[in-house]
Amino acid sequence: MTPLALAFLSVSWSVVLGVTIWAFWRILRGPPGSGG
Amino acid sequence: VSVSTLRVIDAREAWSSRIGLILAMAGNAVGLGNFLRFPTQAAANGGGSFMIAYFVALVLLGLPLMWIEWGLGRHGGRFRKGHMPGMFAAVWWHPAAKYLGAIGLVIPMIVMIYYTYIASWTLAFAFFSATGDYWGRGTQEAMVAYLRSFQGVDGVERVHSPGTPVVFFLLTLGLILWVLSRGVSRGIERMVRIGMPALFLFALVLVVAVLLQDPAPEGDSPIAGLQFIYEPDFSRLGDARVWLAAAGQVFFTLSVGMGSLQAYASYLSRKDDIILNGLATASVNETAEVVLGSTIAIPAAVTFFGVSGAIAIAQSGAFNLGFATLPVVFQGMAGGRVLGLLWFGLLFIAGITSAVAMLTPVTAFFREEFGLRREAVTWALGVIVLGFGLLHVAWLEHGFLDEWDYWAGTFGLVVLAAIEVVIFMWLFGSKRAWLSMHEGAEIQLPAPFRLVMTWITPAYLFLILGWWGVTAALPILQLRTAAGGGPLDPAAVPYVLAARVILLGFLIAFLILVRIAWKRNGYVDRAGLEEAAT
Repeated sequence: MTPLALAFLSVSWSVVLGVTIWAFWRILRGPPGSGG
Repeated sequence: VSVSTLRVIDAREAWSSRIGLILAMAGNAVGLGNFLRFPTQAAANGGGSFMIAYFVALVLLGLPLMWIEWGLGRHGGRFRKGHMPGMFAAVWWHPAAKYLGAIGLVIPMIVMIYYTYIASWTLAFAFFSATGDYWGRGTQEAMVAYLRSFQGVDGVERVHSPGTPVVFFLLTLGLILWVLSRGVSRGIERMVRIGMPALFLFALVLVVAVLLQDPAPEGDSPIAGLQFIYEPDFSRLGDARVWLAAAGQVFFTLSVGMGSLQAYASYLSRKDDIILNGLATASVNETAEVVLGSTIAIPAAVTFFGVSGAIAIAQSGAFNLGFATLPVVFQGMAGGRVLGLLWFGLLFIAGITSAVAMLTPVTAFFREEFGLRREAVTWALGVIVLGFGLLHVAWLEHGFLDEWDYWAGTFGLVVLAAIEVVIFMWLFGSKRAWLSMHEGAEIQLPAPFRLVMTWITPAYLFLILGWWGVTAALPILQLRTAAGGGPLDPAAVPYVLAARVILLGFLIAFLILVRIAWKRNGYVDRAGLEEAAT
């Protein structure tokens, strides 16, 4: 795989997976003041 | 996840849990588009250049539209409306609002009919994989012939009886109707709680199997497939078709412009978050598409046919890649039958969770405006789906399905999205819309998104509509080109015209039904709808 393709794949997968994990982490943490 | 922040609004149904809502919304979005259409579009439109245009469209078009639809839907729910005529009437107190909303009933109804038929092929092929029915047909040509035979195309050797696709269509439709008849929490939520984890598990097993696959003599490594999808070719970014294909894919994959997302969101209360929940479901969809969807079909095809062979197959249509090429590849893999079962099982789950969502706004319309029982509405709609679905079974080869897919499932989505953006962001007003979307929000959208939703998203939509209108819709309308691509076969003209007459019939029927509903319930357009007590 060329470095450019690898970089594009890595960045796009990281962003997609990163946002997914962050969103679910926020949801599991619960809204502020809800206690969980 | 602790639940029950989601409350019952009046006597309307509600999601019983937040995770149930997210899984249902993700099930709505994750469909055949993620695993079949996405890799095909990426491969047919230059791989990496398509991906650049895709991400731009996702941020400027897909995500803003998705939040707008959640907002519009939840706002409609405050007025006990789970359908677009009611949602439009709730935000724009004008007699035209309800009629424009009728488009949001026609589109999901029409798309659901042919989508269920396509989903039934996946059930059939899951069965054929498990039983090894197509084993021994180890070439692309042999598998395409097998697929055509199943589809009932004339002039190919008959493998199955003509009743076989009908049986699988009935089974698929029956399952969808059964889920719908049980309602939001007991039907839809239960289905996605089992279906969505299974779908992701199946996809992960397939990804691992594909990446470990040794290439055939004429094939290449699976990594070469990923290399093709992700190698940016900046020269093709000047090609408008790449941008249009990417925008079309974003529409299809997020299920925006359909009416189904809004219907699901209408079962939320104003205390519930929609910004974070929307982001979570969109990101689950993108994981299924960008990460898993790009790692199964194309890399698997590349191991057998090489990069150029895979591109040629992708350009010959989404179904050839999924229903012919992959079965060929599975036949050469260890545990091929199981992998085939997982592949078509995954597509089947993705298909039915989306089809259920499509019929939800239509059932909501009949229940809310005519006071009909859920079970009665569901099974009555089922009869309509069955009747028109059988036309697809009989007339598939004549471009009947392509015609519906173009006008309702492609062009129609953009039309409905353009109308709803104008109504919500302009006629309701961007400030009110923005505040409405942020009621109960657990995260704040960055302020520039308001500008994007107000200016860039509608501009993008009208640009697509204008371009498509001139380059594709007009030649198709004038019967110069086929909706499925290429020149139109003169013999197909009667079927194409029949498809259009039925589409128009559905539109007229829903316009009349909306008018009857408004008269029957005594709604006064200029006075707005009565808000439900909360």
